[in-house]
Amino acid sequence: MQRRRRLDPLPYLLVAPVAIFIVGLALVPAVFTIVQSFYTVDELDPPTRLSGFHNFIQLWHNSSVLTSAANTGFYVLVGVALSTVLGIGMAVTLQRSFRGRSVVIAILILPWALPGVVEGILWTGIFDPNVGLLNNLVATLHLGSGNAVLLGHNRLLTITLIELVQVWQITPLSALLILAALQLIPGELYEAAEIDGAGPWRSFASVTLPLARAGIAVAVVQAVIATLNVFDQPYVLNGAALTGSSVTEQTYFISFQNLNFGQGYALSLLITVVTLVISLGVVRFIYKKVEL
Amino acid sequence: MNRHRRWARTVGIVLIVIWSIVPIYWAAKASVQTESDARARPAQYVPLHPTLKNFTNLLTGNGDLATSIRRSMINIIVECAAATIVTVVLATLAAYAFARMRFRGRTVLFYAVLATMAFPAYTTLIPLYRIMSDFGLVNTYTGIVLVYVSGFLPLGTWVLHNYFASLPASIEEAGVIDGASRVQVLWYVLLPLARPGIISTALITFLFAWAQFLFPLVLSSDLSTQPLTVTIAALQGRHVVPTTLLSAAGILAIAIPAVIALAFNRYIVNGLLAGSTK
Repeated sequence: MQRRRRLDPLPYLLVAPVAIFIVGLALVPAVFTIVQSFYTVDELDPPTRLSGFHNFIQLWHNSSVLTSAANTGFYVLVGVALSTVLGIGMAVTLQRSFRGRSVVIAILILPWALPGVVEGILWTGIFDPNVGLLNNLVATLHLGSGNAVLLGHNRLLTITLIELVQVWQITPLSALLILAALQLIPGELYEAAEIDGAGPWRSFASVTLPLARAGIAVAVVQAVIATLNVFDQPYVLNGAALTGSSVTEQTYFISFQNLNFGQGYALSLLITVVTLVISLGVVRFIYKKVEL
Repeated sequence: MNRHRRWARTVGIVLIVIWSIVPIYWAAKASVQTESDARARPAQYVPLHPTLKNFTNLLTGNGDLATSIRRSMINIIVECAAATIVTVVLATLAAYAFARMRFRGRTVLFYAVLATMAFPAYTTLIPLYRIMSDFGLVNTYTGIVLVYVSGFLPLGTWVLHNYFASLPASIEEAGVIDGASRVQVLWYVLLPLARPGIISTALITFLFAWAQFLFPLVLSSDLSTQPLTVTIAALQGRHVVPTTLLSAAGILAIAIPAVIALAFNRYIVNGLLAGSTK
């Protein structure tokens, strides 16, 4: 008869703390969010009770939520497009090694490393009607009076400028991810393209872009997650104003100012589901498109 | 490389540097100006009469503003340091087990840890607030650090797992033959080899913790535990705070992460790439 091996306790001891954290403070709360979305959890209207799709229907009838959803859609479009294009541009600039490249990379990642809230304050200094850099440049170059109100002037401009601040923060990671993919492209491919008479644009389109697709896919996904959940920049730059409010801001207001946690749960659940669906879609789309 | 391309690259590098530096420069410039100089037209693009008065006001002043900035600066350092230490220690132990040991339930557990990375962090904002509030941990260092650690453990475990997995299997075999216990092998052999990964994880965790805003806005909005990010955001809307003072506070809030990013960029870049690809 074979002797049964005694269960080795060491790996379980090593893994236990992480497992407890993940179960207790990530998985259990996530289940809470899903389940409680279907309950009325309102500090001002107790007790907690099952209410089916009531929270979701209420959200649908809440015009602030709908406006914020449209704003967020715009944040995502502007943010993903800008951060990806800029990220590709930066990565291509840094593709071949040169003296001082690591210094440029250190400067490049700087905006990624700083808190989004404080970045909002730095950029207020750029947008401000009186002390802002943009207005001052306009005045110095005699292009106008240089007192333009930029943030809050109109919805489209406000959202674009707020998103520009977030793009400043998330583009470094996009650039790094794409740069990492570019480093794996063998130099011979470019030589071959050159021998075939391809100019820089042609070899960019037929060598660089297709071979960087894995890096671009990851970059787009991180941008989608960041922009769909944007909070810090609109909160600091535009406050509660509906011209730039995001869905995550609405989650915060609904839950922690109106104390209607049930609706907050429902809105977080929706944001999570949309984030997951779009992220998966992006990955599948980019891979399919190139394989065809 | 032809002349055309070299020229294009130089332009690209200059644009990258301008893009990354200018917003920081403009705030740094305002932080060493007097309010009237900062508002002067035509603008002073370089500070003509630089002064450290804004910083001394914040760091040594007695007003409410200066006191709250100093207190929240201590808070953010304590919270980030604690979250980093706990995350790195726990993630190292788990990553070692996941990468170098075979045990029942390993795959399921590992995927459960990784799966939480796919969810946006704010999915669990409200339930975490309610759990912390039930346990009386709102506005405590313990509460906010627990939340940070739970948020950063998956990435840390993943990055360190990849480092441990890349080391050759013969290392432990040699150690075990020498009569060393597995814990000794981890401590004396594997940890030193995984040091770059551990440093990367620690730096990235620290920077992530420093950047947090919505979680502490909800979980530690009281000055006793409020981090600098939350304090500064509250100043922004109040027009009574002069721009130059606000800029100085902003520079204080970015000084530590900026120095870390510039000094240790190699570790940070490697860690980020190890965590995001594969």
